Amino acid sequence: MNKQEFLSALEKGLAGLPKDDVSERLGFYGELIDDGVEEGLTEAEAVEALGPIGEIVTQTVAQTPLKKLVRERVKRRRGLKGWQTALIILGSPVWLPLAAAAFAVLLSLYIVLWALLISLWAIFLSFAVSAAAAAAAGVVQLFRGQTLQGLALMGAGLLLAGLSIFLFFGCAAASRGVVRLTGKIALWIKSLFVGKENNYEE
Amino acid sequence: MDIQLKRGLLDVCVLAAIKNEDSYGYKIIKDVKPYIVLSESTLYTILKRLEAADMLTVRSAEHDGRLRKYYRITDSGRERIEDFKRDWKEITDIYRFVTREEYRNE
Repeated sequence: MNKQEFLSALEKGLAGLPKDDVSERLGFYGELIDDGVEEGLTEAEAVEALGPIGEIVTQTVAQTPLKKLVRERVKRRRGLKGWQTALIILGSPVWLPLAAAAFAVLLSLYIVLWALLISLWAIFLSFAVSAAAAAAAGVVQLFRGQTLQGLALMGAGLLLAGLSIFLFFGCAAASRGVVRLTGKIALWIKSLFVGKENNYEE
Repeated sequence: MDIQLKRGLLDVCVLAAIKNEDSYGYKIIKDVKPYIVLSESTLYTILKRLEAADMLTVRSAEHDGRLRKYYRITDSGRERIEDFKRDWKEITDIYRFVTREEYRNE
């Protein structure tokens, strides 16, 4: 890929960002390529050194505040033709409830995820508490002379303690997964604003 | 490395790269890369942030028939480096405290 191809592909990828921002970034990358060539690289090598365009776009979107992306999107929407605006307003009794419902469904799915996580931790907690309770009851029974019952209870306590340790690692892994997913969702929401023009070739 | 810590270190590294003389994007990356991972898009964000914080100024100058952006450190940029050195002294003391058991065992 040469410099021109790289820059126009990058421009396409960054289409959702403010115009000034995009041209400044393109200037920045263009300068890096020129300097790479000056250092003795070929143009293709200098472009290659910048890494895949998809990664640059993802990083750029991640580093751009959501507010900026939304503002740019709203600004562009002002450029709608009259009939488009009329259609959006007239159609609002239809699309507004639909959009609200879709949003509510997605939100509830997300809440369910957290609820699942909370119940997982609750199961862990109940195992841990009953492990301690069974062990304590076992000791009490031993002192009262009920050796068999005491031993059985302490055994149950140990078993529960073992299970709760397993559960703890499961819960911790699930929590990490949900947090990571939250990050991905945030990035996905941002990418919605950058638009669907992101079909750049690698 | 912790993300917040790395972010602070990157700021200081970029400032250090322009501490002695004005520099440009390609050279900053080349100078900093042996010490810390720095991608081009990250450098762009850092330069913007440092410019907004008045720690450096930007000027375009002609080079070989094209324009190149040069970055110059400001007084508050130098102050940032000095802060870093002071912080580092503190961190070294804390490090010694944290690892003191290990030294005793050796």
